[in-house]
Amino acid sequence: MESFTATFRRIFHAGLTNFRRNSYLSFGTTGIMALVLLLFAGLMVLNYVSSQIVAGLESKVDVTVYFKQEASPDEIMSVKQDLENQSTVQQVSYISQDQALNDFKTKHAGDALIQQSLAELSDNPLQASLNIKAKDSAQYPNIVSFLEGNKFRPVVDKINFYENQAVIQRVEGIAGGLRNWGLLATLVLAAIAVLVTFNTIRLTIYNQKQEIEIMRLVGGSIWQIKAPYLIEGGLYGVFAATIATVVFYPTLWFVSSKAAVLLPGISLIGYFLTNILQFVAITLFAGIALGVVSSFVAIRRFLKV
Amino acid sequence: MIEFKDISTIYDDNFMALDGINLEIKDGEFVSLVGPSGAGKSTLMRLLTRELKPSHGEVFVDGINIADLSNRDTSFLRRKIGTIFQDFKLLAKMNASENVGYALEICGATPDEIAQDVPKLLSIVGLTDKAKNFPHQMSGGEKQRLALARALIHRPRIILADEPTGNLDMVNTYDVVKLLMKINEFGTTVILATHNREVVNAVGKRVISMEHGKIVRDQVEKGKYII
Repeated sequence: MESFTATFRRIFHAGLTNFRRNSYLSFGTTGIMALVLLLFAGLMVLNYVSSQIVAGLESKVDVTVYFKQEASPDEIMSVKQDLENQSTVQQVSYISQDQALNDFKTKHAGDALIQQSLAELSDNPLQASLNIKAKDSAQYPNIVSFLEGNKFRPVVDKINFYENQAVIQRVEGIAGGLRNWGLLATLVLAAIAVLVTFNTIRLTIYNQKQEIEIMRLVGGSIWQIKAPYLIEGGLYGVFAATIATVVFYPTLWFVSSKAAVLLPGISLIGYFLTNILQFVAITLFAGIALGVVSSFVAIRRFLKV
Repeated sequence: MIEFKDISTIYDDNFMALDGINLEIKDGEFVSLVGPSGAGKSTLMRLLTRELKPSHGEVFVDGINIADLSNRDTSFLRRKIGTIFQDFKLLAKMNASENVGYALEICGATPDEIAQDVPKLLSIVGLTDKAKNFPHQMSGGEKQRLALARALIHRPRIILADEPTGNLDMVNTYDVVKLLMKINEFGTTVILATHNREVVNAVGKRVISMEHGKIVRDQVEKGKYII
């Protein structure tokens, strides 16, 4: 009697024969599945890009508190002290009215109109401010609510965090929308791939009606009869994953150079090459899962042993 | 030992194929089942391979009620049985040698065992020189002998032959019947369903006559074709 390896080899060989015999159908099925996997791979890259953009923006976020003209330096220093005592705060910088004016003058040193306008002013119109950096960008809302509840809140004119938050939320919204639509498109294509694979396996089963009948009559076990179709489905996945990876690399290489102009500091091809093993494993797993599940449904429905 | 106990089989269209069959077949017997089309001969055979389950009653093979068998055990039951059909049921894409080897492969034989057993069996059925021929390159008689070789390759204890000579001329019919009798002489139980009067009379063993799903006559010894 043959060993488990010999049985597996025979079942695998039978699955491979089915795959080869249905060459045209196999080609179509593998193509559709490869498209699904390409879209899925694109989605992974999109996810990476959006997370990088959001992380980049978040690192640039800070909170600046502008004080009213009547706020005394003591009051401002008291707020600074309170903030520094917060465990979530990394750094608080004080910018006095005079320093703000000097900074403004330096920044616009070449603009004669601004310099002339400033000279004509009797008072310093700029406000003193505190610039706050949090240890973690997720902590900004807490810091802002701490400021809102501070006893010196009446001397605070405005807190500019809300403007930054709107930008982040917009980027996150766009990225989330793209992810959702991408996921929807992947799911729709995956459903089509499942239907196509299901139909291919159904046709294989139909074409091999006589072989299946003979296998049953001579005492072939359920798995001896069914397993080659699962292998066939899995093979569609393996070939589709290979095609998807082979097509994806040059495509990403091409897109990466264009994207580098728009998104400096983000290397798509670098990300792909760094995570190539994970990427291939996920694509392969997704392909095999798609193929095997489709086959499983088809044999449950059409293959009575 | 095969035993049918109070078997009735009703198909989905309410056609009663078998009606209260009680029958015992001992190991090593040669039984000819005769009767007109629709008498229930093929249904009786399909119950034995468990392609069908009876609507009522029990079928025992070696004391085991085969209706209770799991799918896995059904496979083992079928390995005890070799089946031959009027339309041969050979695999068109395989040559003679592969057709026979395929059945052995399904039963889990190693390539070495297959390489050893297949030529022996092809020689027994007189097809050594046709080993590489495909079914479409063979005559009706050769195809049926090939089907017989396939049914025998896994050394079954029971042979079910459903109209095996229906498509054959006199000479080939005689060859196939002679082979079946030879197999029976080695101790294999043979159940032969046929319309062919000459075949049944030539075999001259137990003859069971069926009509409308019932056994109407059971000639245990030196039976003749009588309807």
